[in-house]
Amino acid sequence: MTAVRCVDLCKTYRQGDQEIKALDHLSMEVEEGGFVCLSSPSGGGKTTLLNAIGGLDRPDSGEVYIAGERIDNLSKGDLAELRLHSIGFVFQAFNLIPVLSARENVEFVMQVQGVPAAERHGKSTEVLEEVGLQGLEERLPSEMSGGQQQRVAVARAIVSGPALVLADEPTANLDSKTADGLIDLFQHLNDHHGTTFIIATHDERVMAYAKRLVRMLDGRIVEEIEQNAA
Amino acid sequence: MNTLRILVLLAWRNLWRNHRRTLIMLGAVVVGVWAMIFMTALTMGMVNDMIEDSISVLPGHVQVHHPDYLDDPNIANLLPMPDDEIEATFAPAGFRAWATRIKVPAVVSSERESRGVTLLGIDPQREEPMSFVDYDAVDGRFLEGPEDDGLVIGHKLADTLETELGKRVVLMSQDPDNDIADRGFRVVGLFSADVEAYEEQYVFAGKGTLQELLGVGDRVTSIVVLGDDYRNVEPVYEKVRALVDGGVTVSRWTELDSYLGTMLRVMDGFVLVWVIVIFLALSFGLVNTLVMAVFERVREIGLMLALGMKPSSILGQIVIESMMLLVIGLAIGNLLAWATIKPLEGGIDISVVAEGMAMMGAASVLYPQLRLEDVILANTVVLILGFFASLSPAWRASRLQPVEAITKVN
Amino acid sequence: MNLVLRLAWRNLWRQPRRTWLTTGAMVFANVLLVFMISLQFGMYRLMIENSLQAFTGHMQVQARGYIDDKKMRQSVPDIVPLANELREELGSGAVAARATAFALASSEERSYGIAVFGVEPQFEPRVSNIPGLIGEGRYLESNDAAELVIGAVLARNLKVGVGDEVTLLGSGRDGSFAAVVANVVGIFDSGVAELDRTIAEMPLGLFQDVFYMHGSGHQVVVNAPRLGQVAEYRQRVAALLPEDEDLVVHDWDALLPGLKQAIQADISSAVFMYAVLVVLVAFSVLNTQLMSVLERTHEFGIVLALGLKPGRLGRLVMLETALMGLMGLFIGALIGGALTGWLGVQGFTMPGMDEMGAKFNLPSRLHPQVTFASLLSGPAVVFLFSLLASVYPALRLRRLQPVEAMRAA
Repeated sequence: MTAVRCVDLCKTYRQGDQEIKALDHLSMEVEEGGFVCLSSPSGGGKTTLLNAIGGLDRPDSGEVYIAGERIDNLSKGDLAELRLHSIGFVFQAFNLIPVLSARENVEFVMQVQGVPAAERHGKSTEVLEEVGLQGLEERLPSEMSGGQQQRVAVARAIVSGPALVLADEPTANLDSKTADGLIDLFQHLNDHHGTTFIIATHDERVMAYAKRLVRMLDGRIVEEIEQNAA
Repeated sequence: MNTLRILVLLAWRNLWRNHRRTLIMLGAVVVGVWAMIFMTALTMGMVNDMIEDSISVLPGHVQVHHPDYLDDPNIANLLPMPDDEIEATFAPAGFRAWATRIKVPAVVSSERESRGVTLLGIDPQREEPMSFVDYDAVDGRFLEGPEDDGLVIGHKLADTLETELGKRVVLMSQDPDNDIADRGFRVVGLFSADVEAYEEQYVFAGKGTLQELLGVGDRVTSIVVLGDDYRNVEPVYEKVRALVDGGVTVSRWTELDSYLGTMLRVMDGFVLVWVIVIFLALSFGLVNTLVMAVFERVREIGLMLALGMKPSSILGQIVIESMMLLVIGLAIGNLLAWATIKPLEGGIDISVVAEGMAMMGAASVLYPQLRLEDVILANTVVLILGFFASLSPAWRASRLQPVEAITKVN
Repeated sequence: MNLVLRLAWRNLWRQPRRTWLTTGAMVFANVLLVFMISLQFGMYRLMIENSLQAFTGHMQVQARGYIDDKKMRQSVPDIVPLANELREELGSGAVAARATAFALASSEERSYGIAVFGVEPQFEPRVSNIPGLIGEGRYLESNDAAELVIGAVLARNLKVGVGDEVTLLGSGRDGSFAAVVANVVGIFDSGVAELDRTIAEMPLGLFQDVFYMHGSGHQVVVNAPRLGQVAEYRQRVAALLPEDEDLVVHDWDALLPGLKQAIQADISSAVFMYAVLVVLVAFSVLNTQLMSVLERTHEFGIVLALGLKPGRLGRLVMLETALMGLMGLFIGALIGGALTGWLGVQGFTMPGMDEMGAKFNLPSRLHPQVTFASLLSGPAVVFLFSLLASVYPALRLRRLQPVEAMRAA
């Protein structure tokens, strides 16, 4: 079963009088349980692709399917619902709500979904332990290191058990040891929970872990490499 | 419901994120609310005193006269019904206080001077609840009954006439046949009034004594009735109208002293305007605070939208934050106002401008009056207008696009 | 300096909405202040002028003590020659002698106690409005005819009209019985209840005869050409008074103490309200400038590291506030001035003004006039307090350490 399918996506931006083709007739498929890295030099379109897959941004043309359902023509409200229930996000920075503790950040999505308090508490404790942050649940983001913040973001992304996790440059602000730890975590989740990962990055270490490496340039796929077969 | 709880949580924590800004805004709201209520209490206190004063002089909330009397306050314009008939209809009606009286212009002469005055023939027991004279504070004594043949005049009049307690003066007034009726009276009491002009103007005699002097038998010029609330005179008015025939004029106090009647309405309007003006001055700061707060949080708002929160929840969050600020400010402001007004309830001495106040009809001691209606008005206006003021920044926040918001670089 | 000015200006526009909102608060307050202050100044002036013109005049020469006791025997001797002399020395005809007594006025059907005034018919119109407000008949002409001019309410109460006779009974200066029968030749309607109800005027010559005044009177009313010259004229009149008599000159403030006080009371409550407005605007400015400073901590840190002194930074913030304040001042004064000017032409009225106005000799439609003072006094105070409000944020900058600052977000 294909987790994600993109067909002939196009998206153009204007910057001043320059036209930038972020996506240029791009098509791609990712199977369930996949671990895909998108890499391109800055501005190569990987963030745009990620946003399109995640329903954050609409392509100018083309189609996007998640688990067989077409999503690029959904209303904003439906897209929000989709993001709430089916997709987990990890952004490069500013992943957390500053006034909420680690636990509260993790529980945020569940609370909006309407999950009862006891269940939320149980799940957040579990997942914070899984990312190695037990004992730090009540800390505010300002009281945590960059790496710890990212881990909380990951915990939040997976706590409601989404099928798909999209991560945009998750290791950009981390030192190598922490970055390694984070990618280990991703791998663990991918292996044990079967969560599909699509990660946009130009961090070599991350790319080394991918099962499939997709290189992009100027909005097109220029190379696809299968590696690290299970 | 769960969503509401997280919104409230977020709103509260975001409020205190920037201590200084919130505290300064809070300070402004407190000052504004305090000023609203304080000024209103002072103003309404002044107006209330003026009106109660006037009502104690008229006296009463409703009066009944001969149709021509109000234009021509002459003894010829007596009420058609005799006193005992009025007694029979009015006594059982259950008014808070009522009386019949004779009120005519007269001239009082001592050995040295004469003055024009308003002569009142009254039933002192009936009039005590309504009168501006404190019977117990009268030098000498007040009248003891409607047949009392003494005269009670004001201190100032006694000075002007160069007379004193125990001395005789001559009272001259017109009788219904246009002849001058005059008689000597002994001054048995000297009264004081807050407004000195009353001391010069009004002279009290027994109703029966006057009826005899003027030869009017059992007739009177006026019926005066006091109700419970000067702001709500209609029930008393209707009741009095039902008790009398068509051949008389029934008047409310607002018609008899149209200046004060108007002033009451104007002041009620003024209070509302004052509250709104203060709020408008505050609103610039309030909106500014919210706009700045939203601006600082653009990225995390984008994050929340990206995670699937509805735009309406974002709007709700900002509005709740604003309302929280206002509620706290209102609470403190109300408390502060109460705390500053309470000690002043004994009266603020403004005798420096005593004559000026007298010109406006007010006394030289100001008693602030904190009314529940006014407090509720101020709080309601702030809450309602505050709600609307916060809608604009909240709306803009909810319209943010997640992608732009997240990728926004300062 | 030019650079700093440009910098300050540009800084304001980094956050246009914030700048406009803060300026908006100033403009709002300024418009209100310009309007209300213009209205008040005009209203007070009108109140005073109207009250004085009605009957009291700008100042009066009286016997010492008359103002408190008002006794007949406290009189000004040889009052007509005195008035003549004052007219000559001051070079003005706005000097009129009067005498007054309490009397019982009787018509065929009614009697009322009133105040009778003996006046100089040719000069009274120069110090009082009443002669000009004759509704029926005419004003007094000769100095000794048995004529009377009475107020409209009194005429109604006495049930008399022009041509009817009225008998006056009273006491003369020496306490003896005084009486006269006079013809009503004119009825005046001043709109002031007190005057219309209780005053009758007769020629001074007649009065002095009837009431045994022996050439004396009670008041010499003197009007200065303008209200602003009252103090000057008062001094001149005082110097001209004969030394051996015990005479004093009272200005209108002493004659109508209530008037000035009523105005003062009104001013106090108005000042309270204005103060609240100014304070609220100051809070707004404080908040804005404080935020503006805090969010630039990082860049200030850089600037300090590059060698700029903290004091200069403080001045920059004050300059930004001053620029905003000037904007608020100009725009507010402009809009306020235009609005008030327009209302000055259209006339401004509020429900209830006719009755409230009547009590204070004000018309029911006011025309606020914008003067230099009324246009700028309010906005100037707002400007000043806004500047004061930005002192705290400016002071905070002085304690800024470069490295610390640069570490800030």
